[in-house]
Amino acid sequence: MTSQAASLPVDCRQVGVRYGHTQALDRATFQVEPGQVYALLGRNGSGKTSLVRCLLGHQRPTAGRVELFGQDVWSSRQALMHRVGVVAEEPDAPPLMTTRQLVRFCGGLYPTWDQVGVDQRLQRFRIPMDLPFGRLSRGQKGQVALALALGPKPALLVLDDPTLGLDAVARREVYDELLGELGERGTTVLLTTHDLAGIEGLADRIGILHQGRLLVDASLEDLKARHRKVSWAPTQAVDPRDLAPFAPLWSRAGSLGGEAILTQGDPSQVPGLQAHPLSLEELFVALVGSDSEVAS
Amino acid sequence: MSILAVTRREWTGRRNVLLLALGIGVIQLLGLYFDPNPVTTQDKASFMGVFSGTMLAWVIALLFGATMVSRDLEERRFGFLLNQPLHPAQIFLGKVMAGLGLALVAGLLASLPSVLLSGLWRQLGLKDVGSILGVGLAGSLVLLLFFHAVSIQVRSRSLWLLLDLAAWAGFFLGVRWLSLRLIDTGAFPDMVHLWGGLLVGVTLGLGIAGYLQVAQGRADLQRGHHWVSVTMALTLGLVLLAGWADVAWVLKHRPPAAKAPPARVQIR
Repeated sequence: MTSQAASLPVDCRQVGVRYGHTQALDRATFQVEPGQVYALLGRNGSGKTSLVRCLLGHQRPTAGRVELFGQDVWSSRQALMHRVGVVAEEPDAPPLMTTRQLVRFCGGLYPTWDQVGVDQRLQRFRIPMDLPFGRLSRGQKGQVALALALGPKPALLVLDDPTLGLDAVARREVYDELLGELGERGTTVLLTTHDLAGIEGLADRIGILHQGRLLVDASLEDLKARHRKVSWAPTQAVDPRDLAPFAPLWSRAGSLGGEAILTQGDPSQVPGLQAHPLSLEELFVALVGSDSEVAS
Repeated sequence: MSILAVTRREWTGRRNVLLLALGIGVIQLLGLYFDPNPVTTQDKASFMGVFSGTMLAWVIALLFGATMVSRDLEERRFGFLLNQPLHPAQIFLGKVMAGLGLALVAGLLASLPSVLLSGLWRQLGLKDVGSILGVGLAGSLVLLLFFHAVSIQVRSRSLWLLLDLAAWAGFFLGVRWLSLRLIDTGAFPDMVHLWGGLLVGVTLGLGIAGYLQVAQGRADLQRGHHWVSVTMALTLGLVLLAGWADVAWVLKHRPPAAKAPPARVQIR
């Protein structure tokens, strides 16, 4: 193992998970560098949850190896969890414990626990400290989970869809908190999410899982540089076949005109085409949308 | 300290059980107070206090064992503990200690009012108290571990259940066969020893199976069931083998005078 690999916060190699005859995850390989924000995207059932469970040592992969900070996560889970903060997809704290009791419980387990930071965060989120966790709103549960995950000043933060079910304000608060944490401490973050717009200004690198396979593992900048979105008006005589030299990833044409996402070349030489900025959501839909829409 | 943190976490929200136990204790006390025949009060206190306290402790241990891990797994809450820097042994022992502690305190709360106020405590020596507590706690431990294993086996809904059923059926048939061999020779004390030994062995196996379910199964209920099934099948087989060796030894080394009379002089 090289020293660089040893220092990698996340190193997944050929990770596979199988449930009976179903291959939930197929040879997923990716790394997350220190200080990086890695967003793992995918539709429901794409294998994200299985991958996160393997990453946290909850589940043993049927193939491959998952390492955090150079240590095998299955065999060294306890030691590694001192350096990892987790926000689960479904808030999983005991429903009858109050926030105060949860803070006391978690605080006693970590030598690096930042009590002042946790109290400040919970105050900022306006969380009632003596209400049982099960009686908090969905958004408040997520905020408590985030405050607890940041409590031990983790070197790696794993967020499994932290904004699921949150309203716009609560979502913004979660992202602001994350940005603050990243700005202050440069924590490495691995997050799964369906909120593609929310992470566009946050993620450094994107992984896209589809049907258990990691289709994309690239920096957001690279992805946007490699793909161009173009459209044409109905009055323009653009034949989608004219786009073939640009290796379209996805295209759609109709009575209202057409649009396409191209993967190579400079389409400005084609008359009638207009270039547009490409959003992560458009790219995601083009990559993992229904098969009939995917051109390649 | 981490074990105690897990124990405290398990106690949170289950304190109502203690109120229930106290209520049972008070009801018994009222029963004794309004007793029309006070001569038998101490006997009733003995039965109602000690018996019902022990029964309550065992019921609580049973229910706690049946839910302590499997319900967390089914409701996807077990990840909360796995996401903390806790060793599987700390998680499992913390939960077992919480169950035993809850059973013990509830049993005491249910029995103490009638035992203390009826004056029964004056007749109880330290040895009696030790025996009552020992039986109560040992029974609670067996029930807690057994129903933990059963709850994992039932809730995982996997085919490993067939191995469980086969192992337990084989075990009970084996115990019956060994017991009959001892009964045929009149070796009743040895049968009690055999059963005691088997119970200790099975309890040890249940403890190991419970730990492995947490350590190797983690958030995967079916994988945990696999470990419980394999461990219990091995344990039951080994315990039965030890029991067979014990019975063989007893039958071989029993003094001739203690052996059963020959068939021709047996009273028909």
